[in-house]
Amino acid sequence: MYTLRRWWDRHGLQMALAVMAIGAAVAVQQSQGSIIFEVFQTVTRPFDLSPNLEEQRQKARMLAGEERLVELEKQNEQLKKLLGYVSTKSDPGVVAPVVGRSADHWWQQVTLGRGRKDGIKKGYIVTGPGGLIGRIDAVTDHTSRVLLISDPSSRVGVTVSRSRNMGFMRGQGANRAVMEFFDKVPDVRKDDVVATSPVSELFVPGIPVGRIESVNLSKSPAPEAIVELSAPVNALEWVVVSQNKPIPEIDISSQQRQNETNSSN
Amino acid sequence: MRQTAAIRTNSLSKTSRWNPQTRQLLNVLVTVGSAFFCLLLLPTRFPGMTLLGIAPNWMLIWVVAWSVKRTAFQGGVAGLALGLLQDSMTSPHPTHALSLALAGILTAWLQKDRFVQEDFISVSLIVFGMTVVVETVATLQFSLLGYNTLAEIWTRHQLVALSSAILSSLWAPVVYFPLNRWWEQIKNPESV
Repeated sequence: MYTLRRWWDRHGLQMALAVMAIGAAVAVQQSQGSIIFEVFQTVTRPFDLSPNLEEQRQKARMLAGEERLVELEKQNEQLKKLLGYVSTKSDPGVVAPVVGRSADHWWQQVTLGRGRKDGIKKGYIVTGPGGLIGRIDAVTDHTSRVLLISDPSSRVGVTVSRSRNMGFMRGQGANRAVMEFFDKVPDVRKDDVVATSPVSELFVPGIPVGRIESVNLSKSPAPEAIVELSAPVNALEWVVVSQNKPIPEIDISSQQRQNETNSSN
Repeated sequence: MRQTAAIRTNSLSKTSRWNPQTRQLLNVLVTVGSAFFCLLLLPTRFPGMTLLGIAPNWMLIWVVAWSVKRTAFQGGVAGLALGLLQDSMTSPHPTHALSLALAGILTAWLQKDRFVQEDFISVSLIVFGMTVVVETVATLQFSLLGYNTLAEIWTRHQLVALSSAILSSLWAPVVYFPLNRWWEQIKNPESV
């Protein structure tokens, strides 16, 4: 008892401090570091770029493509109408500034200066000037964290626009990604355009992703291609966060539930 | 009368004359504040401070600065706590707590003071070595998690470990020098 007491007298304060330090760290970790990101946003707010200049530049850059896009969209709409396809109305999304990059060297993440208060939720899709950028991974009140498609852990279902050959893509850091095909002999060439696939549940179909840089058909177990991402993932300043498509299963189950309640009544 | 006032203002500016409790409180504030500042530096990429898109590992620099003149236990606890904080900013798997705690313990075990009196270059060298240790631990964790093929992970390891080690060791004195001076002043106020 005495030795215990003496030990406590000597090391008690140190132990208590250690427990406090680790306890506080665990608490912050459990809250996904929301305090840190909130403070970061507050501190970096004065350095925010003005949106007008960048928006103007973006507008000029997009103008040429947009004109073509309008024409194609019109055609697409008419064709869909002919097929009896019911499209979901796309929302304009939230424009958000990029305020920070990943907090270590392994993850490809960016921090945005808009959060829950601006209507951003986990799982929303982030696009930028060149196409797809990533998904919202965590949200605090005024910031949100994006897992970029260039991160090795992010998988995107993609399709080759020309031949509709599907596969999935995993990031390789910087602005490269590897696409693995589902088919054994895919019809794919250098410079083919790659977009998100219609079977992807994490992303809306048809968002441009990048271009095929090289193809390796002899790769085992599945043929592979290197994709050069079209969005400048390393030099982002502003991005658009938009809602993901509603997953159809949820609608069915809620309908079923409604039917069940109706029948029980 | 004027002389005593002058002495009083002079004595106020010296840490040695401060009330011990004020000094302790200030010490805690400076320590926690500097660690938090390093945490805020992590998501930034200032132009001219990156190599191949990789920034200095500020958290590791702080842990080394803390552990150099402390016990292995203190180094380990600091590494663990700061590692958990860094996890909260990226992802809990793989954890930074393990690698930073290891770095803290190893730095304290080196007992630099017993062998080398000189400060700047030896601290930079320790940071260089510890960065390699930290990134290797991270790589091993990634290999176990299997997000990617081993070849890809270890190619990335070379790039990350080398550029991060070079940058961190160059920036280490910026964090180490003021912190070390402060802690020395708090420890024996008369000497400075």
